[in-house]
Amino acid sequence: MIEANVRTRLGQFQLAAELKATGVTCLSGRNGSGKTTLLRAIAGFLRVEEGFVKIGGVDVTRFPIESRGVVMVTPSSCFPHMNVDPHLIWGARLRKTSPSSEEVSRVKSELGIDYGGPVRNLSLGMRERVALATALLASPKAILVDDVFTSLHQREEVIASYSRLVTERGIDLIFSCQDETDGWLAAQMYRMDNGSISGPKRLEKA
Amino acid sequence: MGWLRVIAIAALVLLLIPVFVLLYYGLGPLRNPAGYSIAVFRSIELSLFASALAVVVDVVLFTPLAYYLARGNDRLVESLVDIPISVPHPIIGVALIILDSPITPTGKFLLGLHINLYNTILGLVSALVIMSAPIFVKSMQPYFESRDVSTEDFAMGLGASRLRTLFSVVLPDSFDGLTSASLISMSRALSEFGSISIIAYYVLQFPFYGVSPASVTIYNFFSGNMAGGLNAAVTASAAMILVAIPIALGGHFLRRGPKK
Repeated sequence: MIEANVRTRLGQFQLAAELKATGVTCLSGRNGSGKTTLLRAIAGFLRVEEGFVKIGGVDVTRFPIESRGVVMVTPSSCFPHMNVDPHLIWGARLRKTSPSSEEVSRVKSELGIDYGGPVRNLSLGMRERVALATALLASPKAILVDDVFTSLHQREEVIASYSRLVTERGIDLIFSCQDETDGWLAAQMYRMDNGSISGPKRLEKA
Repeated sequence: MGWLRVIAIAALVLLLIPVFVLLYYGLGPLRNPAGYSIAVFRSIELSLFASALAVVVDVVLFTPLAYYLARGNDRLVESLVDIPISVPHPIIGVALIILDSPITPTGKFLLGLHINLYNTILGLVSALVIMSAPIFVKSMQPYFESRDVSTEDFAMGLGASRLRTLFSVVLPDSFDGLTSASLISMSRALSEFGSISIIAYYVLQFPFYGVSPASVTIYNFFSGNMAGGLNAAVTASAAMILVAIPIALGGHFLRRGPKK
């Protein structure tokens, strides 16, 4: 479970959000509503002035980023100089685990990754898929996906596949989106507006 | 942009006048064969060799410092980095002499380890490292700052430390920045005179036995310590400029943002 109760100020922007997320959670809100700020606070990239962040019941508020077990995936999250296959298992190797080749193949297949060359040569969408797969194969406690699914081809299928893969591994997932269109794909949805959060609620497919 | 461009170009011409003057007189009216003799080319060779070695040390030792400054927001360290190039350069030469003098404890210790800086390649390279490293750091720091941090955030989220992120993620994708900063700092090392004229006026080691660095050789012509006089100094300066310009320009042309 990801638990966050954070208050912090960035210039004129005030973030005050409380969230409890288990399984797959959608975080919706317009540009500038505070989604990325909240996700960065959970991942440890933003120091919170008040409050806490707990991952799996452990207070990680003062933990260094690399020790939190939280991976944040953004549209720029990839290592352009690497080839796809070493990229996919880079995080897993850091955590001293080694996913089997069958597991890697399955994740590639589920996420539509059909290329093995340099990541630099990939389209933005394919880079995002590689980053998602890399985060998944590292088996962190939580994955935060910020504005990645929005731009992907066959978005709903990718979200469904990814949700299935993280659920199988017991990884909590929060993904952000601009509107509530994809909210039904998550077990619960929070909405952010001007630094405040409301929810959770459950959406059905429209 | 019209007048601004005119003023900018006029300022640039003012800056470049000494270079044009040296090239014109050195290769033309004041040309003297002593200025492009074997001795001059040997001294340019020594300067190139020592400057290249200094840059290798800069890259290995000071890249982490540049990255720390780019991500750490440490104003104190940032201002301290400039100190070696903010003081009169001969001071650095004097400091190295004292550091390695038999009358000081550090000198006794270093000499006990057979580490001799006076008139050696090691001394020359040490001075050049101290004088070029601040330039290297100040070139790499903005390069690192201009990089999208998302890649590094991703690596750290996956479990990499800052240092691991630097070596595994940032540096393999920073060839342009490293090459540019290296050439710029090599250019700075080639131009050094003050400190090396004290610690390594000439080198007493194979394969440069008795050879002075290029800037010292030019001074020797000018001061009459070497036969040839002013004309040879001007000609040797022109030769040195022809070697240094491609290195300096190469560094600046490669200076661009990281690949996206």
